Amino acid sequence: MIVCGIDIGSVATKTVILKDRDIISKSLALTKASPKLAAEEALSKALRQINLSEKDISYIVSTGYGRRIIEFGDRTVTEITCCGRGATQIGSPLGKIQTIIDLGGQDSKVISLDEEGGILDFVMNDKCSAGTGRFLEVMASVLEERIGDLGEIALRSNNPVRINSTCTVFSESEVISLIAQGRNKEDIISGICASIAERIAGMITQVGKKESIFFCGGGARNRGIHRFLEDKLGVELYVPQEPEFVIALGASLIAIESLKKI
Amino acid sequence: MKEILERRYTLTPFKKEIKGLKDAFRRASLRNLDSMRKRGFRPKNISYYEEVILGEKRYEELKGFSGRIIGYFCTFIPQELIYAARAIPIRLCSGFYDTVLVCEEILAKDICPLVKSSFGFKISASSYFELCDAVILPTPCDPKKKLIEILSDYLPVWVLKIPQDKTSSSKEIWLEEIKSLKERIEDFTKTKLTRQRLEETIKLIHKRQTLFRQLYEIRRANPYLMGGRDFLLVIQTSFYDDIERWIDKTEELCKQLSKEKTHFKTDEKIKILVTGSPIIWPNFKLLNIIEDLGAEIVCDDLCSGTQSLYNLVEPDEPTTDVMLGAIADGYLLSSVCPCFIENNDRIDRVLNLIEEFRVGGVIYHSLRLCQLYEIESHRLRLILKEKKIPMLTIHTDYSQEDTEQIKTRVEAFLEMLKR
Ligand code: SF4
Ligand code: SF4
Repeated sequence: MIVCGIDIGSVATKTVILKDRDIISKSLALTKASPKLAAEEALSKALRQINLSEKDISYIVSTGYGRRIIEFGDRTVTEITCCGRGATQIGSPLGKIQTIIDLGGQDSKVISLDEEGGILDFVMNDKCSAGTGRFLEVMASVLEERIGDLGEIALRSNNPVRINSTCTVFSESEVISLIAQGRNKEDIISGICASIAERIAGMITQVGKKESIFFCGGGARNRGIHRFLEDKLGVELYVPQEPEFVIALGASLIAIESLKKI
Repeated sequence: MKEILERRYTLTPFKKEIKGLKDAFRRASLRNLDSMRKRGFRPKNISYYEEVILGEKRYEELKGFSGRIIGYFCTFIPQELIYAARAIPIRLCSGFYDTVLVCEEILAKDICPLVKSSFGFKISASSYFELCDAVILPTPCDPKKKLIEILSDYLPVWVLKIPQDKTSSSKEIWLEEIKSLKERIEDFTKTKLTRQRLEETIKLIHKRQTLFRQLYEIRRANPYLMGGRDFLLVIQTSFYDDIERWIDKTEELCKQLSKEKTHFKTDEKIKILVTGSPIIWPNFKLLNIIEDLGAEIVCDDLCSGTQSLYNLVEPDEPTTDVMLGAIADGYLLSSVCPCFIENNDRIDRVLNLIEEFRVGGVIYHSLRLCQLYEIESHRLRLILKEKKIPMLTIHTDYSQEDTEQIKTRVEAFLEMLKR
């Protein structure tokens, strides 16, 4: 039984293909202007790696903000449900997962799980993109750094600046003026990571703070944010090996379960 | 002298002719109706309410009315007094996005959308607002208070000061407010509000309220007979329609519904309670999302919805004093508006509704910049958490741009409830 989960995010589209319960292929494509093309590209890439074609797949679950755009899916499920499913499957060395932080491109979310790994509650950031990957992207381009390097740079600072604005556009001008004031780049980047961590910590308070936290989404690769979050929350966070694939994995697992129900 | 002082800072009202506003309202309304029709079963004479809510016919009808038309806001204004003066009350709290934009041309953006939308209607000289000879405004929150001041440049505005709580001393002050409102209405309409007129209009409105309750009971027995949006549609048309016609039509509706059978298997759909900031036509965005995703809004505690049916004015004897006392109590005590310092009444009501309608989850509508509801959501959230009733809070405004984001949240919430 071969199934597939596709997570069409605002920045990247991820695909996971399962055979029985094992991952046999996965791929990532940038979403860019067309979520539809990205989904097709990601899927055919994943299929090519294992020499299969679309007709070999018995069930496809699509998720993410573009979940309804594709035509070849069998079922759509929200990224929140998929994220919960994916995380419980991966598990955590810190014990049974109680809370998940997902830092994605266009939104960030905090999910609280019950004993059985079911979703108990969740919050997502509001309309505005502060506290998301998009925010990091804007800041990286202002500071002329690669987004993937921001975390490491942040860790080098001993004196993070304080970013006061809560909206991306205002923060951008705030950062520009900090650069103009000659503030150290490391300190600014560190301040940016701290401000994202602060927002996420606020969301955690809303669902109720728990001990065992799982941190995923592309943003979980940012070690600066990771460290600030741990400092703020006073607990260790677990980041899985490929944090951006958690939701797609969850979708593929739901595909298996849906198939069983038929 | 008094006149001069009073007029000192009166400004020339800002007006803006805006073409296409009426069409935009129609489009927004039709968009809702399209989505509501997708539900499948709807009562036969619902088309009557659809026409009223579109407003075009009713507007022409009111334009031809020779008496006074008095606009009002919120749920605190005794319509008995207005009808008794042979005037027509029209509720002006608005849910139209396009007039928010009109308002933002002169007022700051950081004001609650309901007030912006309503004021936008006034300055764009369209709709019912233009037909009003005077407006009655209560003072529940800051935006409404300042709306009083701004509107005073345009037309006579009468203020009804809302007490901060429901204690007996507050009730006395409130009764005085109601009495002075009665005098103002009498002066303005040059009509004496006789004992007999009052008695008649109390009965008239009582009849309407009884129908609200009847509908509520029908839905309680079988929540799937009528969609949540259709229920709100019926209630909200009563803000504008001719009251006697509305009563006739709604009697017919109740009769029809009580003969109907279930159209969905019991517990087939997830039952949702909607609470929070007012949801007023055509701002049915959140409701459309919920019901389009297959859940059923079985009840609400909105001031633009079910709150209307808790107010039953039932005087012990038909003397003017007793009747005014009953009116005052009816409108104050039944309200669960968050403007009161302590609002356990609202929490009680929500918990009751959850039980009576066997609600699966609560969706809290928090209008951006509506601080009262935003603050109250915290307490309710904690209480529901304790009772293990899931609640989702949606922060939004009247624009459509966040529709997809809200959809994802609601869909995830429903997936969570389905387990
Ligand atoms: S919630 Fe209260 S203040 Fe707001 S519109 Fe309703 S009655 Fe008025
Ligand atoms: S209670 Fe909220 S929605 Fe109603 S007028 Fe006041 S601020 Fe606006």
